[in-house]
Amino acid sequence: MTPSSDEGPARAITILLVEDDAPTRWRLQDALAKAGFDVDAAATLTEARASLAKRVPRVLLTDLQLPDGHGNDLIRATRQRHPDTEIMVISILGDEESVISAITVGATGYLLKDAFPTDIATTVHDLVAGHSPISASIARFIVKRTQASVEPPPGPPLNTTRLTPREIDILWGIAKGFSYAEIAGHLGLSRQTVPGHIKSIYRKLEVHTRGEAVFEAVQQGLIKL
Amino acid sequence: MTDEAVKPAAFGGLKSRKSLSWLFQYVLLQVLIAIVCIVALRHPLSAPPPRYSVTAFDLQDRGTTQSVTLPDFVPSRLSMQEPASYTGSFDWSEGEARSAWSVYLPRFTNGVQVTVNGVEILDSRRDPSANRLDRATPEIAVIPASLLREGPNELAIRLFVWGPISGFLDRVYVGPDAALRPFYGQRTLLFVNLPMVFAAWQGILAVILIVLWSVRRQEWAYGALAAAMALGAIQAFLPTVVDQPTFPRLTATLIASAPLESGFVLAFGILFFARKWPRYGALIFAPGVLLVLVGLFGSSGQLGKLFVVVGLPAIGLNLVLLALIAAWSELRRQDVPSLLLGCAVTIVLTCLIHDVLAVVQILPDRRIFFTGLSYAAMVIAIGAGLTWRFARALNQVDGFAARLVIQVREAEEKLKASFAREEERARAAALARERARLMRDLHDGLGGQLVSIVALSERGEGGTGIGDAARAALKDLRLVIDSMDDIGGDLMLALGSWRDRASAQLRPHGIALNWRAATPQGLPVHPELRPWHVIQIVRILDEALTNAVKHAGATQVAVGIDTFADASGFARGSITVEDDGKGFAIAGGGDELAAGGDAIKADGDAAADGETAGRGLRNMRGRAARCGAELELVSGAGGTRVRLTLPRRFPDSDAVAG
Repeated sequence: MTPSSDEGPARAITILLVEDDAPTRWRLQDALAKAGFDVDAAATLTEARASLAKRVPRVLLTDLQLPDGHGNDLIRATRQRHPDTEIMVISILGDEESVISAITVGATGYLLKDAFPTDIATTVHDLVAGHSPISASIARFIVKRTQASVEPPPGPPLNTTRLTPREIDILWGIAKGFSYAEIAGHLGLSRQTVPGHIKSIYRKLEVHTRGEAVFEAVQQGLIKL
Repeated sequence: MTDEAVKPAAFGGLKSRKSLSWLFQYVLLQVLIAIVCIVALRHPLSAPPPRYSVTAFDLQDRGTTQSVTLPDFVPSRLSMQEPASYTGSFDWSEGEARSAWSVYLPRFTNGVQVTVNGVEILDSRRDPSANRLDRATPEIAVIPASLLREGPNELAIRLFVWGPISGFLDRVYVGPDAALRPFYGQRTLLFVNLPMVFAAWQGILAVILIVLWSVRRQEWAYGALAAAMALGAIQAFLPTVVDQPTFPRLTATLIASAPLESGFVLAFGILFFARKWPRYGALIFAPGVLLVLVGLFGSSGQLGKLFVVVGLPAIGLNLVLLALIAAWSELRRQDVPSLLLGCAVTIVLTCLIHDVLAVVQILPDRRIFFTGLSYAAMVIAIGAGLTWRFARALNQVDGFAARLVIQVREAEEKLKASFAREEERARAAALARERARLMRDLHDGLGGQLVSIVALSERGEGGTGIGDAARAALKDLRLVIDSMDDIGGDLMLALGSWRDRASAQLRPHGIALNWRAATPQGLPVHPELRPWHVIQIVRILDEALTNAVKHAGATQVAVGIDTFADASGFARGSITVEDDGKGFAIAGGGDELAAGGDAIKADGDAAADGETAGRGLRNMRGRAARCGAELELVSGAGGTRVRLTLPRRFPDSDAVAG
């Protein structure tokens, strides 16, 4: 896989990378730059905001635990002001705790910090191409939330009531390790429509406004009025 | 009868045709009972042969003398003085019989003193039982032989009258004792002994009811009935001594306690059948209390008058009310106690009316009062009714207990099930919480540091080994965290995550991952699956994958997930990891991976790699054994195939550690 050679002639995709750990930041920046992306790097929330003010990137890659705040704030603000910007979370373990909370504020995928450079580039390319990546464990977390439960399960709040049965079926397939082609085969779909469904799932899990967040929290019994 | 006339009027408003027909039947039954009663009451009592009767007397009363024929009445008076004096005669001849002769008086009110030829042979006032107006006590006295004279003998009877009702003297018989005594015995049995037996029943019933009420204080009906029964029993056993009563007022009061007793019975009827105490219910006791007060503080004459004027109507009214309540209760519930009591009240009422007619001399012939006797019917009815209700209550308790046992058992089962569910949920929730906490810790600490190591090693020269190690550590960390997630026994959910990690691991090496699940379901669900099982299985798969990457030089790894039916038809899952690498020799009876395979040599350090691979295989076998899974390893020139057959049931503990 050599995305750099493929993407070279095209206009470079702009990326804002927000990561406070310097070695990791360098590593990701290297990997992305080598793949032909135009990368701005920031180590703090403040730097990230300053960078956003200068130039709106096509892709925002951000860590969540930042020295001067939480990455989710940045994701939410970016999602509201720059809806065209694709957002991905950089996660160490790809755990639902961090990824799901980021998805609810507008992220559409995650990148593992120790991913191989080629994988990093591929993931970003896929994202720009409209293929939101979703891992088996995240899919598993989401489908588990669609199952009726007396008490709210631990972890970040997540409203799955807007997901259609078909979308839930797709999530089940992903959680069990089936490929998009296999899922499409089992469900009688066209393989090409699966990524669209996944993008739709992400959008439905997103909580758009503060008011909506409160409303949904009430709906789910997380807040008692 | 008047009570029968009242009932239809009281229930005339009933709408239901069925109720009406039923009411008709009930009333008909009561009328029948009343008729039977009347027939029985009017049935003549057996009497000695008429030739022994003495009926012609000269009556000397209040200064006047007249000839009378017995039975005869004299007006009531309040004094023991000036008794009416009857004088007659009978014939006796020595030759007629050598046996003893007696004077037999079947019925008199209130007391008699009998003299034969001027010698007193009998004074009924010394017999407490005979002094009771309500009991038709007969008297008999043997005439001492020395008194009898050949030919006519003088028989003088002084009739004492006290109390409110007129004096009465029935036919008198004089004849051989043997001829008269059987009739005397018969009457005694009927009018003296039988009432005592009934009184004894009443006493027993009173004791039972008192015990009952003391245990169930809320059942006021039993309290009222106990009071009525106790009063009746005491009254019956109370000796009536006219001349020197120990407590004359108390005695008089007790004898006049019938209205109070009937009040208690009515109160019982109301509480027992209506189950609601009327607002002015206390008025029931007003006549009885009035009589008691007059008895204790007034004169005996006043008491007697009041008894006739107030007491008797009160008894009658109470009985009529009781009849109505019983009829109403029977109409509503149609149970045995109501019916029994209704019939008993009809009997008593009939007798009471009969007695009143006898007192006012409309039925003059015998003057035997049956009310006291008929009261036995009521006692029997009450006893039977209570017993019936107890038996039914016991049946209900039995049924209730049986039902309760079933319900308790059902509830227990449900509780057990919900307990198990709750426990399972609590366990899952605790696991999830623990996992979330652990993940946060690892994420913030160890994870970040490992990522830094990876980044640093990639920047530095020759640090790939460190980087790989750090990456492996991260991968392991993800595995552990992933396995702790509750996957509800569906191993496929764990394999899904493993597929993500495996493809990430294989991609840099240019090895393709060929994933094939035979069915959408993939593997059977194992509810008993625990995180440690998942870790063991994923580690086995990881080991197989690592072998393929490191030692075999494979270009493709195929993972097959299958469900098959074993020898006994049990659905079992199998996972196969197959590479197209060089394979390696398996020695030591399949127990150990021997050094010397091409794959190992190719990596350079044969001995060390051999050892690593050997340890790897041992580990795989050990892990499989711990999960109860079967591991099958086939390696040859065409590649290596690891087939893991899942157990029917995952073991609870890893005691079988290999």
